[in-house]
Amino acid sequence: MAAPVAQAQSSRSKAEWEKMRQKQIDDSIPLFRGVQVMVDLIGPIQRAVSAYGQYEAGVRVNLKDKYFPVVEVGYGEADHTDDVTQNSYKTSAPYGKLGVDFNIMKNKHDDNRVYAGLRYACTYFKCDIDHAPITDPVWGGETPFSAHGVKANYHWMEVLAGVDAKIAGPLRLGWTVRYRRRVHYDNGLMDNVWYVPGYGKQGSSRISGTFNIIYEF
Amino acid sequence: MTNHYMPMKTRRGCRLQAWGSVLLLLVGLALTACSSVDCPLNNSVYANYKLMGPVSTLTDTLTISTSRADSNDSVLINHQVNTDSFSLPMSYGHDVDELYLQVNSLIDTIWVEKTNKPHFESVDCGVAYFHTLQRVRYTRHALDSIVINHKDVNYDATKKHFYVYFKEYRF
Repeated sequence: MAAPVAQAQSSRSKAEWEKMRQKQIDDSIPLFRGVQVMVDLIGPIQRAVSAYGQYEAGVRVNLKDKYFPVVEVGYGEADHTDDVTQNSYKTSAPYGKLGVDFNIMKNKHDDNRVYAGLRYACTYFKCDIDHAPITDPVWGGETPFSAHGVKANYHWMEVLAGVDAKIAGPLRLGWTVRYRRRVHYDNGLMDNVWYVPGYGKQGSSRISGTFNIIYEF
Repeated sequence: MTNHYMPMKTRRGCRLQAWGSVLLLLVGLALTACSSVDCPLNNSVYANYKLMGPVSTLTDTLTISTSRADSNDSVLINHQVNTDSFSLPMSYGHDVDELYLQVNSLIDTIWVEKTNKPHFESVDCGVAYFHTLQRVRYTRHALDSIVINHKDVNYDATKKHFYVYFKEYRF
């Protein structure tokens, strides 16, 4: 009978000791723990193999190994003509994301981190939509269908989960999976846009992701 | 003799595992990036006319035509009977569509004034023109009146854009 009780006491004291140790580290470390500069690899690959993609980089500030305010900026571009519909779409514009990641690891001071985070993102861009003049089947004659410099804007939120791990020295690798949701938008004069810089294709999956190379200062 | 070989987790094995995860992630992300083509099922733009008033069903023969840019006539509805509603296309680029509506031997002309707005859905979908009705004018031989009920003409085929009132006694 005595053995399990002793074991429980021992494990409880071990947990308490660990909690105390974490608190001591928390108290002893400064608020500002460093800065991470990260570059996404998925966007450039996407741009290289498809008609659209984005180049994205970010800065993440480490506060107490717990809170990580983040600024991400990128440049998205698309240039595509559909062979069947003969519709052309072209755009290129910067975008920005602002948010915070929370380290949800039990041991916050571990070399590896697991994040849950939020982003608010927006982009203001112009796009060119082209199509050959359309022939009116009833009235006859051709009507032009083209618009250049169509102004549009998008604001959206992202909820993300991610990890990053120490590889060597200050070099780290990490990835995030993101669920995005449009909060405010203006599609411009032509009623719709196709690719939105930073957001992706309209009507496509709401899930996206990044794979980051991170340098920690 | 039994084999007591136990697999050891070597550094090389861990690296392979890490690269495997990266590859898996890239494949996963590539798959999530795929999307289907979401074009609207109804991609025609028609103005819908509904007969109202005492003549809600026209038993007489109805023919509707318009004049093309090359001065020829184009018949849109040919000798239709028992008409309670009908749909007509709208021109892509004209500010005013001129329609000739013939009921037996009576001919009325309708002028529909509208705006023409190019509508882009997606690169994968066909293009169209949407319209906003501004004004309707008409002669009154068989017609009593036409009123605009819903001014936006687009892919929504459920809306009745015009209410058409025919004279009860047509001579």
